[in-house]
Amino acid sequence: MEARSPSRWGAQEWAAVAIFAAALAVPWATDDLLVHSIVNRVLIGAMAALSVFIMLRMDLLSFATPAFMALGGYAAVLLAMNGVTEVLLIVPASFLVPALVALPLGALVLRLRGVYFVLVTFVLTEILQLVLFMTPRLTGGADGLAGFPAPTLLGTELSDARSVLALAAAMALLAAAVTAALTAHFRQHFAAIEENEVLAESLGLVVWRYKAMGFVVAAGIAGMAGFSLGNMLLTVHPTSFGAQQAVDTIVYAIVGGRGSILGPVAGAALLVTASDFLGNQGQYAPGLFGLLLILVTLVARGGIAGAVAALARRRRAPRVAAAPAAAPGAARGGA
Amino acid sequence: MHEFLTAGIIGISLGAQYALLALGFTLIFGILGVINFAHGGFYALGGYVAYAAVSQAGLPFPLAVLVAVVATAALGALYERFLIERLVDDHLATMMLTLGLYLVISTSLLAVFGPQSPEFSFPVKGTLRAGTLYLPLENLVVLAVCAAAIGGLWLLIYRTDFGRALRALADDRRVAMTQGMRPGLLFPLAFGLATGLAGLTGALVTPILALSPSAGDPVLVTSFLTVILGGLGSIAGAVVAALIVGFVEAYASVYLGGSTGALILFVTVLVILLARPTGLFGREIRGA
Repeated sequence: MEARSPSRWGAQEWAAVAIFAAALAVPWATDDLLVHSIVNRVLIGAMAALSVFIMLRMDLLSFATPAFMALGGYAAVLLAMNGVTEVLLIVPASFLVPALVALPLGALVLRLRGVYFVLVTFVLTEILQLVLFMTPRLTGGADGLAGFPAPTLLGTELSDARSVLALAAAMALLAAAVTAALTAHFRQHFAAIEENEVLAESLGLVVWRYKAMGFVVAAGIAGMAGFSLGNMLLTVHPTSFGAQQAVDTIVYAIVGGRGSILGPVAGAALLVTASDFLGNQGQYAPGLFGLLLILVTLVARGGIAGAVAALARRRRAPRVAAAPAAAPGAARGGA
Repeated sequence: MHEFLTAGIIGISLGAQYALLALGFTLIFGILGVINFAHGGFYALGGYVAYAAVSQAGLPFPLAVLVAVVATAALGALYERFLIERLVDDHLATMMLTLGLYLVISTSLLAVFGPQSPEFSFPVKGTLRAGTLYLPLENLVVLAVCAAAIGGLWLLIYRTDFGRALRALADDRRVAMTQGMRPGLLFPLAFGLATGLAGLTGALVTPILALSPSAGDPVLVTSFLTVILGGLGSIAGAVVAALIVGFVEAYASVYLGGSTGALILFVTVLVILLARPTGLFGREIRGA
C-alpha cells in the first residue's frame, strides 16, 4: 500500500510552506514591533492549529494541544535554565519530549473515537494544568518559569526582537514542512480513516499505526509551538496552556478549514489579527470566535480555505458552477 | 468528627447541585447524542437572569429563579430547534455549535454586565443549629430545591408519556420514530429541559458561590467529570456520580488541601474513560 501511495505535495502544501518561508523575511522587512508581535502570534497560533489539523485529518478532535505545548515549552525552558541554550538542541527537544509522551499515551487514548476521544483529550489538558500547579519545584507552579537565558544559535545569542521572530518563523516553517510531508504522504490512509475507520481496517489498513504516527507528530508540533510561545513571552506559565487555548486553537483550525493545510494557517492569521484589531476590546474576541464557529459550521463546512477553493473552482468552470451541482463539493469542504 | 460531618454536609449540598447540572448534560447526550459545551454558559446565564430580575425588576428571589429557568429553557429549546437540529447526527458539528454558543453567551454576559462580579446574595441567611453542628440555611434551601428538582425529573422521565417517549428516542431513535415519536418536537423540549436545569442551578447557586461571565468554565469541567464517572447518558449514574464528586471535593479540601482532590478525580475519570467508557454504573446507551 505504501509503495503506491502518492506522497507528492500538492499546490496547497507548497503554498503553506512558501507562506512560512516568506514569514522568515518579515523580521528584516520591517522594524515595526507591532507587526513583529502580530506575526509572531500568528506563527504560534498556526503551529498549534496545524497540530489540531493533523488530528482532524483522522476525524479526531483534540483538546490536548495545550498539554503538548506545555510539555514542549517547559522541556525547552528547563534545558535552557540548565545551560543548554543551543536552538539546534532545544528545538528538537521541544518536539521530541511531547512526541515521546504521546507514543504510550496514544496507545491508550487512540482506541477511543468520537466524543469519547474529545472528552479524554479535554481531561488530559486539565490534568496537566493541575500537575503544573502541583510541581512548583520543577515547573515553578503557579508562578511558571521566567528569567531563563535566551536561546543561542552556534554561540550567537537570539535575544533581540528580530531574532526571536526569525526563530519563531523558522520553527513554523519546520512545523509546516513536517505537517505537509505527513499529511501528503499518508493522504489516502488518513482519508480512509476519516471516512470509515472500520471499513479501512477491514480492508487491511493497519489503522492504529497511522493514527499513532499522526498523534505523535501532532504532539511534537504542538510542543514546538509551546516553546515558541515561551520564547516570545519570556515565560512559560500554566495559564498559557489551558482549555481556553485548546478552544482558540480548534477555532483557528475549524474556521480556517479542516480540509486543507492552508486552513489552519488562514484561520490563525485571520483570527489572531482580528483579535488584535479589537485592541482594548480584546475581551470580546471569544464572542467573535464563537459566532464564526457557528457560522462556519452551518454554512461553510470547509471553512475559509474550503470557501476559497470552491470559489476558485467556480471561476475556473463558470458553466458548471452555474448549476447547483457545485454546491455539495463546497458544503463538504472541497479540497 | 465534627469536621467530618460539616464536610459531609458541604459534600451532599455540592453533590446535589452537580447532580442537577450533570442530569441536564447527560439527558442531552443520552437523547440527542450531543455533547453540550454550552452547559456552563446556561448556568452562568441563569445566574445573571436571576440577578437582573432581582436587582433591575425588583422581583422576589423565588420568582427570579423561575424567570431564569424559563429563559434558559427557552433559549436552549430554540437553539436546538433552529440550529442543532439541522446537524444533530454530526458529532463534530454539534460540538462546534454548542462551543460557539458558549463563547457567545459568556462574551455577551461580559459585554452586558461587565467583568466584575455583581452584588448578588442569597435572600435566606442564618444557620440552623443541631447539637454542636451549625448548618448554613442557604445550603439547606439549595439542597431541598435540588432534591425536589431531581425527584421531579425522575417522575417526568420514568412516570410520564413524555419521559417514556424521550427514553424511547434515547434507546433507538429509528424504532421510536416508527412508533410515532416526533424528534422534531421532543428534541427541542429535551434540550430546553436540560438547559433549564442548568439555568435553575445557576440561579440558585451563584448567589452563594460567585457570579461572573466565566462562571460556566468550572461547571462544564465538573459536568464532564460527573457524567463520565456515571456513564454518559445514564440518569441514575449521573446522580450517584455527582454525589461522589461532591463528597470527594468537600473531603479533599478539608483533609488533602490544594488540588489533590481534583487530580484524583481527573485521573479516575481518565482511567474510566480508557478502561470502561460506559462509566461506573452505565450501560452502553449510545455508541458515539
